[in-house]
Amino acid sequence: MTEVVAGPRRHVRLRATKEFFSRLFERVGAWVGVAALAFFLILAAIPGPIVGPLETAATASGDFLTPPDSQHILGTDEVGRDVLNVVVHGARISLTIALIATVISLIVGTTVGITSGYYGGRVDVWLMRLTDFFFIVPSFVLALVIAPVFVEVIGRGREVLGFRTSLFVIVVVIGLTSWAFVARLIRSQTLSLRERPFVDRARVAGSSDLSIMIRHVLPNLVPQIAANGALVVAGAIYTETALSFIGLGDPVQPSWGTLLSLAQQAGAASAGAWWYLGAPGACVLTVSLAFVLLGNALDDTFNPRRRAIP
Amino acid sequence: MATCGQGGRTSRRIGGIVLRAIVTLLMVAILNFILFRVIPGDPAGLLLDGSRSAVTSEQIEAQRERWGLDRPLIPDQVLDYLSATAKGDLGYSFKFRGQRVSDLLLDRLPATIALVGVAQIIAISAGVMLGIYAGWRRGGAVDTIATGGSLALYATPSFWLGMVLVVVFSTKLGWLPGYGAYSPGADTGSLAWLADYLRHLVLPASTVALGIMGQYVLVARAAMSDVVAEDYMVTARAKGLTSGQMLLRHAFRNAMLPVVTLVTLNLGYVVAGAITVETVFAWPGIGSLTVGALNARDYPVLQGVFLLLGTSIVFANLIADLAYGLLDPRVTQ
Repeated sequence: MTEVVAGPRRHVRLRATKEFFSRLFERVGAWVGVAALAFFLILAAIPGPIVGPLETAATASGDFLTPPDSQHILGTDEVGRDVLNVVVHGARISLTIALIATVISLIVGTTVGITSGYYGGRVDVWLMRLTDFFFIVPSFVLALVIAPVFVEVIGRGREVLGFRTSLFVIVVVIGLTSWAFVARLIRSQTLSLRERPFVDRARVAGSSDLSIMIRHVLPNLVPQIAANGALVVAGAIYTETALSFIGLGDPVQPSWGTLLSLAQQAGAASAGAWWYLGAPGACVLTVSLAFVLLGNALDDTFNPRRRAIP
Repeated sequence: MATCGQGGRTSRRIGGIVLRAIVTLLMVAILNFILFRVIPGDPAGLLLDGSRSAVTSEQIEAQRERWGLDRPLIPDQVLDYLSATAKGDLGYSFKFRGQRVSDLLLDRLPATIALVGVAQIIAISAGVMLGIYAGWRRGGAVDTIATGGSLALYATPSFWLGMVLVVVFSTKLGWLPGYGAYSPGADTGSLAWLADYLRHLVLPASTVALGIMGQYVLVARAAMSDVVAEDYMVTARAKGLTSGQMLLRHAFRNAMLPVVTLVTLNLGYVVAGAITVETVFAWPGIGSLTVGALNARDYPVLQGVFLLLGTSIVFANLIADLAYGLLDPRVTQ
C-alpha cells in the first residue's frame, strides 16, 4: 500500500521542489545572494591553488603597508604579507565558523522550539523563559563574557577538531547563544502543526512523541528552518567578526574579523591604509548581505504574503 | 463590571511582564556568578596573583576566609553574591588594583551614554523620516535607494564603517578628529572644551547612528506601507485631506508604533555595536573598558560590564513591553 502511494508522492514532491526553485530565482535577491556565496565558497574551499599557502610574518612576500600594485593587487599589511592572500584564507576561517555555528544554533533552536510547542504546559513556560533570556541579550554580549571563560577552562594553544582553542570556543559560543529567535519561530509553527489531523492519526497509530516530532512535525518546518538559517548565518558572521575584532580571535588562523583587528592595532586607518582594512571589511559586508538577501528571498517564496523585514 | 474585568486583565498583564523581567534579571546575575566560578584556579589565588611576591598557603587561607570562599557554594555564596550585587558592590578590578568595579563603570558610563544617545537621536530622526517617505512613495527612486542602502548598512559591521570614516574624514580629508574624546591640554569645562568634545563625537556618533539607521528606515517604511493601505487612509482621502495632512494626522502616529518598540528593544544591539565602535575611536566609554578588561583578563570588570549591559537590556525590554500596551490599546483587549 505504502509503495503504491510513494511513487506519485515522490513525483509530486519533485515537481513542487522544481516549482519552488523557479519561483525563488524569479527574485533578483536570490540570484545576487547565490552568486556571491558561490564565489566565496570557492575561495574558502581551495585557497591554496588560488593564492598559495597562508603567508606569515616569516614568509611575507612584500614590503610593509604598500598600496595595491601589479604584484600585490590588494597591497600588503604591516608585516609585509599580501592582503589578497590573507583575505582569501580568511574566507575559509570566517565561513567555516559561521556555518558550523549556524548548524549548532539551528539544532538547539529547533529542538527547544519543537519540544516547547509540542508538549506545551510547564515545559513550554520554562523553555520560553530560557529563550526570552537568550532572545533579549544579544549573542555578542553573551559571547563577550562566556568566550574568555571557556578559553580559560579549555586551555590555550591546543587544537580541538582542527580549530585552535579560541576559534573552537567562538564557534560553540555563537551557536549556543544565537538560537532564541529560531526557537520562537519553530515553537509557534509547532503549535499549529500539532493540532493537524496527521499528528492525531500518528498518535492513534501508536507513534511515540519523539517519533511524531521527528517524522511528522520536523519535515513540515524545513521551510522556516531554511529561510531563517540564512539569516542566522548573517548574524553569526557579524558576531564572529565583532568578537575577533575586539581580540577574541586567533592571529594564527586569522578570520576577516581578526584581520580587521590586526589592521586596527597597526593603525591602518590613521595611516590611510584603506586596502588593508577595506578588503576584509568588504568581504564581510558582501557575504552577510548575500545571506540576508537569500534569506529574504527564501522567506518571500515560502510565505508570499508575509513581508520580509530583516 | 466590564471595566473591572479589563482592569484586572491589564494589571495581570503588567504583573506577568514584570515577573518575566525579574526572572531574566536573575538569570543574568546567576550566569555571572557561575562564569566567575568555573574559571580554573582558586579565586583567592587569582586575587593574590598580581602581588608578585611569594604567596603562602596561610595567606590564601586568610583570603578565602575574608571573601567567604570557604563556605558552601550553594546557597551561601550565591546568596552573598546576589545581595552584594543588589547593593551595587561588584568587587574590585584586577587590572586597576584596588579600584571598585562599580566606580570604574560609573566613570566610563557618561561617555557611552553621550555616544549612544546622540547616535540614537540622529538615527531615529533621519531613519524615520527617510523610511516614512520611502513607504509613502513606495517604488519611487528614494524608496529604491533607501531600501538598498539600509540593507547594506544592516549587513555592515559598524566598527568597520567607523574605520572607513576615519580613513576618509580624518586621515585623507583631515576634517575631523578620529581618536579619543578630547584634544590634549584643553581646559575642562570651558566652551572651547565642549566644542572640541563635540568635534570628537561627530565621527563615532555618526558611525553608531549609521549602523542602526538601516533598521529604522526598513521598519518605518514597512509600517508606513501598512498604514497607507488602511481603510482610514481611504476615508481621509475621501474627506478631501491633502497628502501632507494625511501624513501628519493619520499616518505618522500609527507608523511610529513599531519604531518606538524597535528603539527600546534594540538597546542591547546598539550598545553591543558601540563597544566595537569605541575601540576604533579610542572613545573612553564602557566599550574601551570592556576590551581593555578582555585583554588583561580582568574578570571582575568583565562581569560588571555584563551585569550592567544585561540589566539595562532587561529594563529597556520591560519599558518596551509596557509602552506597547499604552500606545496600542488593542494589546490590552
